[in-house]
Amino acid sequence: MTGTLAAGATALASIGSSAAGLPAPPVAQVTAIEASLFVFVVLTALFTALARDVLAAVIIFGAYSLGMAALYTFYRAPDVAMTEAAISAGVTTVLLLLTLAKTTRRQHEAAFESVNLPAAGAVGLLFGGLLLTMGDIPAVGSRDAPIWSNPDVTQWYIAETYAETHVENAVMAVLAAFRGFDTFGEAVVVFAAGIAALIVLRREVFA
Amino acid sequence: MSGSDDDGFDRDRPPRTGGRLDSDRRQGTPYTESQVIMPTVKIVAPFAFTYGLFVTFHGGSSPGGGFQGGAIVAAVVFMIAFAFGIEATRQWLANTVVVGLAVGGALVFAGIGLVPVALGGAFLQYELLPIPDPVKYGMEGVEILGIGTIVAGVLMGLFFVLANGFSDAGGFADADAFADETGGPGTDDPDQDSTDDPTGEDGPTGEDDPTDEAGSADAGAPGTAATDGGERR
Amino acid sequence: MSLADATLAAGYTLGDFLLVAAAGFAVLAVGMLYRAVVGPTMQDRVLAVNVFGTNTVVILAILGAALDEPTFLDIALVYALLNFLMAIAISKFTVERGGVL
Repeated sequence: MTGTLAAGATALASIGSSAAGLPAPPVAQVTAIEASLFVFVVLTALFTALARDVLAAVIIFGAYSLGMAALYTFYRAPDVAMTEAAISAGVTTVLLLLTLAKTTRRQHEAAFESVNLPAAGAVGLLFGGLLLTMGDIPAVGSRDAPIWSNPDVTQWYIAETYAETHVENAVMAVLAAFRGFDTFGEAVVVFAAGIAALIVLRREVFA
Repeated sequence: MSGSDDDGFDRDRPPRTGGRLDSDRRQGTPYTESQVIMPTVKIVAPFAFTYGLFVTFHGGSSPGGGFQGGAIVAAVVFMIAFAFGIEATRQWLANTVVVGLAVGGALVFAGIGLVPVALGGAFLQYELLPIPDPVKYGMEGVEILGIGTIVAGVLMGLFFVLANGFSDAGGFADADAFADETGGPGTDDPDQDSTDDPTGEDGPTGEDDPTDEAGSADAGAPGTAATDGGERR
Repeated sequence: MSLADATLAAGYTLGDFLLVAAAGFAVLAVGMLYRAVVGPTMQDRVLAVNVFGTNTVVILAILGAALDEPTFLDIALVYALLNFLMAIAISKFTVERGGVL
C-alpha cells in the first residue's frame, strides 16, 4: 500500500511528484486501445438510443458505462472512472430497473426505433457544427493546452496541494478544500434530490 | 393487495419481528431462483461493504472519496435487497437509518463548515478547526462523515422509494385529501396504481399483459390502497 | 524504472505489449456488442453485459500494469464488485419483469 501512496492517486498528483522531468504524455495520435474503446462507446451509445425495448436499452447503457470507465482510466482520471463505475454500474442500472418494474411493457415487432429523418438531420447538422470546432481543441494531455500552460492555476494546485492540505489525492483536495463551498452545494443538491423523489412519489418515509 | 400482514402474502410482507434477514421467518417462502444469488451475496456483500468503506476512508490517498464510497455502500444495500427481497430489506434497514445518514451527513458538513465561522473565520476554513492537522482531518471529516453519508443515505432512500412506486402503502397521511383534490385517481388516472404493488401475487401477470388496458383493468380501488397505507404507517 | 519499462523486443517495452493486449480486449468488447444488441433473449444480453464487465476488469488491470499505475486496480475492484450487482439485478428483473424483486 505504500506503493499506492507514493504513486499518488491521480494523474495530477503523480505528475506533480515528478514535475521536473515530466515525460511527454503519449498523445497526438490515437492509440489502438483508444480507437477501439471509442468505437465501443459510440456504438453502445447509438444502440442505447435506438433500442426499442427499454430493458435492452438499460442493459446496453450498462455496457456503455463500462467502456467509458475504461476510457477515463486510460486518460489517467481514476477518480472519474471510479465515479462512473460506482454510479453507472451500481446505481443507475438498478434505479432504472426499479422504475421499469413499475411500468407495463408493450410488444414490439421491430428491434430498433425507426429514425425520424428530419430530427436526425437536425441533430446531424448540430453534430457536424460541433465537429468543426474539434480542430481548435488542444489534444488530450497536450502541454500547450491552456489548462496546463497556465502556471497560476493548474500547476499551482499540482505543486502546492500537498503542502497546503497534507492530502495526496489532488482531486479530493480540490473538491473538499479549494472549492469546498461548491461541494457543499453539491451535497445539498444530492440531499434535495432525495427529498424531491419523496415529494414526487407522494411519500413521507424512505424505507 | 397491500396493507395487512395476514392476507396470505407472507413472502411479500414479512413480519416486523426480529431474526436474521435470510431466515425463513423473515423471508417467508423463498423462491427457487435465489438459491444461487443468496449465498453468493452473503459472501460478496461483506467484502463489497468493506471496500466501500475503504474507498471512502482512503479517498485522501487513492482514487475515490466520499461520493464513490457512499455509492458503493449503497450498492451493497441494493445487492442485499435484490438477493433477499426488497420488502425484507426495508424492514431490516429502518427508515431512521436512511434518513439519519442523509440528514446527519448534511448537518455534519454544515457543522464542519460553520465551526470556523464561529471562531471568526470563513466558511470551511479548515485551519481554524480545533483539531490536530486541521486541514487534512477537516477534509477527511467532510468527505467521510459529510458527503459519504449523504450519498449513501440518499441513494438507499431513492432505491426504497422507487421500489415502492407511486401512492403505495406509506404515502402521505392525507392521501385521500390529495386524491380528492386531483379528482380521484381511480377515475382519472387508472394507470397510476396498476403496478403499484409488484410484490402482489397477481401483479406480474397483469404487467405481463401486452396491452395497457388489461394491465390497468384489474387495478383495485386506489383510494383503499392509500388509506391502508396511511394506517399501516 | 518499473517492470513496464523493461525492453522486451525490437525496442518495444513490456508496457507497449500490454497496451496492445488491452486494445485487443477492447476490440473483443466491440465484438461482444453483437450479442448485447441482437439478443435475442434478455438472458443473452445479461450474459453479454457480464462478459463486458469481466472484460473491463481485465482491461483496467492490464492498463494498470502497462501504465504503471497500481491505483487502477482499485477501479477494477469496484467494477468486479458492482458488475455482479448489475448481473443479479437484471437477471432477477427478467423473472416476471420485476415481479419477484
